[in-house]
Formats: sequence, C-alpha cells, structure tokens
Amino acid sequence: MRIVVLGSSVYSETACAMAVRLAECGHVPVGALVLSTLERGTLLRKLAQWGVRDVTRYARRKLIPNYGNAQGMVHNSYLRPLLKNGSGIFRSLREVAAFYGFPVVVGKNQNAPDSIARVRQWSPDLIVFTGGNILRKALLDVPRLGVLNVHLGLLPEIRGMSSPEWSLLKGVSVGVTIHYLDAGIDTGPILQRYEFTDAARCDSLTDLRNRLIAFGVEKIGEVVASLDRGAITAILQADHDTDNDTDKDNQFFVMHEWLRARAAERLAQSRIGAVAERMHG
Amino acid sequence: MNLSSELKRGITASAITDILATSRDNARIHNGVTDQVARGLKEVTGLLRGPQRVVPVIQKLVSDKIRLTLEQRHLYSYTTTKRDSKDVLQSLLQWIIEAQRSDGGIAAYYSLLAGYSKSYPEVTGYIIPTLYEVARVTKSDNAVVAAEKATRWLLSLQMSTGSFPRGLDGETQPSVFNTGQILQGLVRADRETHRCEIRDAAIAAGSWLVEMHQADGSWSGRGAYQGAAHTYYSMVSWALAELSEHTAEHRYGQAAERNLDWVLPHFRPSGWIDGINLSGHPNYLHFIAYVLQGVLECALLRRRKDAVEAVAKSAWVLMRKFETSKFLPGAYEPDFKRGHSFACLTGNAQMSCIWLRLFEVTGDPRYLNAALKMNEMLKQIIPSNGRPGIGGGVCGSYPVWGRYQPLRYISWGCKFLADALLMEQRLTHAFDAYGFEASRCAS
Repeated sequence: MRIVVLGSSVYSETACAMAVRLAECGHVPVGALVLSTLERGTLLRKLAQWGVRDVTRYARRKLIPNYGNAQGMVHNSYLRPLLKNGSGIFRSLREVAAFYGFPVVVGKNQNAPDSIARVRQWSPDLIVFTGGNILRKALLDVPRLGVLNVHLGLLPEIRGMSSPEWSLLKGVSVGVTIHYLDAGIDTGPILQRYEFTDAARCDSLTDLRNRLIAFGVEKIGEVVASLDRGAITAILQADHDTDNDTDKDNQFFVMHEWLRARAAERLAQSRIGAVAERMHG
Repeated sequence: MNLSSELKRGITASAITDILATSRDNARIHNGVTDQVARGLKEVTGLLRGPQRVVPVIQKLVSDKIRLTLEQRHLYSYTTTKRDSKDVLQSLLQWIIEAQRSDGGIAAYYSLLAGYSKSYPEVTGYIIPTLYEVARVTKSDNAVVAAEKATRWLLSLQMSTGSFPRGLDGETQPSVFNTGQILQGLVRADRETHRCEIRDAAIAAGSWLVEMHQADGSWSGRGAYQGAAHTYYSMVSWALAELSEHTAEHRYGQAAERNLDWVLPHFRPSGWIDGINLSGHPNYLHFIAYVLQGVLECALLRRRKDAVEAVAKSAWVLMRKFETSKFLPGAYEPDFKRGHSFACLTGNAQMSCIWLRLFEVTGDPRYLNAALKMNEMLKQIIPSNGRPGIGGGVCGSYPVWGRYQPLRYISWGCKFLADALLMEQRLTHAFDAYGFEASRCAS
C-alpha cells in the first residue's frame, strides 16, 4: 500500500513516530509533506498551547545536536520506543526518512496547488494525517482510499478540539478514533474506535494526551494492516448533520483553562478511585 | 511617521465621517434634522472646547491601531485568564458611578471628543438591576446609593400616561422601548426597597405598554422607534414578564407572550432574526443580541420551551462563529452571511450573557466555555486605568473608530459586561458546588 504522511513540522514527534510505526508494519511511506517549522500560525498556536518555556525546551532538544542525553530529547516519552534509533533518537522526520528511504517535502500550506501536485505524484492509496492545515477537498480527493486521522476522542460523541478534556468533563469514555477525514470537523467515516482504559493511571492532562497520542500511533498499524487485507469497512457517522453552521451536536472547541482545571480534577478523582479499588480489590 | 500620518488622515477622518454619518442617519430618521446635525457637529468640535481631551483621543487611536496590527487570533486565544474578573467588575462600577450626573441619571456615554453626554433615561433604568447585583456581590454601598439616586430621577421623568420619554434628558415624546427598559429597573428597585411609589410607577409603565400593544402582538406606530415594529422589543416583553411575576398580574405576562408569538416567526432556519427593522442602520450585533436576550429571558419567565430552543439555535450559530475566529463582527448581513470588520463590544458582552444563561438552562458547558473566552477578550480590551470616563470604560466599537458609537465609551457597554462577569461568577461557583449538570437546578 502506498502511504503518504502529512505533518505539522519536520520536528513533529507524532509524524516521526507515525512514519516509523508504518514502516515497522511493512508500509514504508512513499513520501511525507510537512509544514514549514517557522510557519507563523503554527508557532503561535504552539506557544499558546504549550507556553514559551516548553516551546523553547522542545526547540533546543530538536535543533541542537547532542543536547542532553538521548532520552531527554523526546517530548512525549510514550513515543520513545518508536523514536529510538540504535543508541540515539530520531530528532526529525528527515532523519526517519533518510533511515527508511523516502522523500520529505516542506511547504507553507498543505492545500496549496504545488503541495497537492507533489502528493499526487506519489500516487498514494492512503494519506495519514498527523497535523497541519484543515484539509480541503482537492487534497482529500487525491488518495485512492482516503485520508486517515487519529482523533483523540471517541467519535461521534466528542468531535473537535480538547477532546480528552471534554471527555473527562462530560464523563464519557476516553479513547481514540481512527477515521477518514471529510469536509467537516471530525465527521468522516469511522474505521475503528478504541477505548483507552488506562486514563486513571495518568497523572495530568498532558500525560493523558501524550499516552493517547502513543496509543493512536500504535493502533494505526492495526488499522492499516486491516485495510490492506480488505478486512475493515468504514462506517458513516449516523448523526452527522450536513448543515455546517448548525451542526451543534457533538462539536467541541478549545477548552478555557478554568474548565481544564475541572477536567484535571476529574482525572485526579478517577486516579484516586482506581487506587482505592486496587487496594480493596 | 507612517502611523501618525495615517492616524491624522485615515482614522480620525473616518471616525469623524462616521459620527457625521450617524448624525445624518439619525437626522433623517427623526424629524429634527437640524437638531441632530447640530449635535453631531457639537461632538466633532468638542475638542476645541475641551483641548485636555486631545491627548486621550490620540492615545486611544494609537493603542487600538497598534493592538490591531499586532493582534494574532487563533484557536487558543483567550483560553487563559489574564485579568481578574473581580478587579474588572470594580472598575466597571467605578466608571458607572463617575458617569452618574448630578440629577441622578447616568450619562449615555463619554465621548473622547466632547466628554460626558446628558443623562440617559433608558440606560439609567436598566442599569439599576446591575447596580443592585454588583452591590449584592461586592457589598458596595456606593452601588446601592447610585441605584437609589437613579430611581429617584426616573420617577421624576415619568409622564402622566405612565410612559417615559425617548432620547437623552429633555425629550418629551413617549417611547415604548425606553419605558420597557426603565420598567426593568423599577421592578428591581421595588423588589429591593418595597416602596409604594416605585411599585405604582412600575404598574403605570406596564399598563401603558399594554395599552400601546398592537393586536398582532407587536409595538408599532406612536411610541415606537421610526414608527415601525421591531423584534428587539422583546426586551420590553421581558420587562412585562418580570412585572407580571412581581405583581402576580396576568395581563402583563399575557402581553409579553403575545409579543413572543409575534417575534418567533421572525427566526429563520439559519438562526438569523428578521424584523430588527432599523432603517438607516446596519444590523448591529447589539440589536441581534437584544432580540435573543429579550426572547430568552421572557421565555424562561413564561416557561416557553419553543422560544428557548429558537434562541439556542441562533446563539449556537454565533458561538460557533466566535469559537472558530475568536471574533464576532459588529454588524451582519441577513443570515449572518457577511460581517463588518469592527467589533461591537456591547453586543459581545450581551452574547456572553446569553451563552451563560443557556449554560444555566441546558447544562451544556460549551456555552460556559465560550462565555469565559468572550469575557476574557473583553477584559483585555477595556482600559484598566485612565481619567474618569475612560478608565474601566467599554467603547462602542473596537477599534474605537468602528461604526457603532465611534470614539465613545458607552454606559450600556459597562452594564452588559458587568452583567456577564456577575453571571460568570455566579455560575462558576455553582459549577464547583454542584457540577454542570446539577448547577442549573441549583441556580
């Protein structure tokens, strides 16, 4: 199967881990298209999401060769097994690409005509999306099967942003969904839903998010293998409302810090509950 | 150098043009053409009479220009708290108290060009519930004193018919909308003080409104702005529903429901509401929010689920627009198709109130999430300090030269932001105490 990986930056750990995972499953990507690391929108979003300190630390780990030890170079420690490269660590998608032998193209916009033309040259059966722009129809239509996305929530219950946090706050199961992208936000056909049963072990929202990312990367291997065998069929999201502006059912937005703190409390409560259960059980 | 020349040629010129345009519109709408133009000119030439205002005008123009240039809105904007709501609430209260004129009325606005306006009966009326609410939360005696002074002034303005006049202090024509807005204040003042003269004034105002009601449930003709029926007069039905509950007089509630029945068919499937009907003005967010707030509050008092659902649909459309762009245009074309480039800050604060109320009613935390961000945005825009009339004030538009009330800090902007922050405080406490599902039952 010919697979292309889309990422938000060459330094995206998720994109690197995804490419490695696919390669390990016997599907070395035929190419990768990522956004320019210095793209202003991405940088600002990351700054707002992580804060200056974490962004600086991340940049130092990725840009300065031999900065700290190899273990310390990974931001999401749950991806470390996939990012291990002998005694070192894959620091960028370029290093992964050099190792497995596939091209990496950097662009300003994944929907731009030249980006689409490049992807089309690779004739992909499947695109695996790990980050970047909201994809437009022209790109979504390029691969034979579709564009896969790992959503950090169970669809169709929790669509949109801050999914793990909203799941906790609303008291619904935490998990990941592997689905095809369509023109809506997380409204595309579902290939597989996986509940994440280890949420109670997480000691923070960041920890939960990191574990979910690693969980999703692990599961994508299974889904791609099933697709390759023709053993899996996508199921339409039954409650998908086609009226974009009034599709209120399950669309969530980035959570304000006041509510995030309440979601973190719910996580802590579930951890305490799990510990108590283990002690008594 | 570029910036200053642009300010001189562009911004100031456009602001003055807007004021003149607004004045021209108003003049056409009302009959007193000369009077309106004279008012516009008086404001524009205000700097000549008050040269001490030159520096604040320039400061505000420059700061908004810089903010606009550097501003980067994205999905994570306004998700962290940078200004404490309690501090902002205090500064809003301070602004309102400073805007209270010696007669007891609250000025409509502080113009960066001409200073404070005369007292404004309409706003003075519906600012009273806000003042009592701030007093309850902050234990501020000043707020109670201000509310009582405002009530006394309003009682002195009531006409023999029970109605209140339109426009700024000195007008004599009765106004349905202003009477409704003032009625809100009278009902709250009576709840707080139990004084017969306030109750009598409220009943007289309510009775006049019922008398002026058209057979179809709207208010039009004499006493209605431009003589036409407007859906944003749902604010009047809210006041009547309040009066009905307060006095246990059914006829006020029935009149409120008749108006609801007239307004509801104006809601389109897109969430848009027809019938705002302000000839010569764009569909400002302020008036869209008026329709929604009036219908919602009236529906809650009258237990009208159909009306709550209609409001929830429109409010969701606007919430989605705000969440995806972190900006609501100050005015829209029908069906929310095209928005203007400025923000109407009052309309934003009103939308926050509506989302918070919907959170309270439905238990859906996404409304609370959007309101927290909207409040954060507004808190960041308003000046934390400055001379009276500026510090803690809410501008008509952002940037300040936008079309809605250009170069003015407006008292109803402060009122709605204070309402939003008070509601945020109440509902977040309820959330912590009972969780979001149960918080609606609790409150």
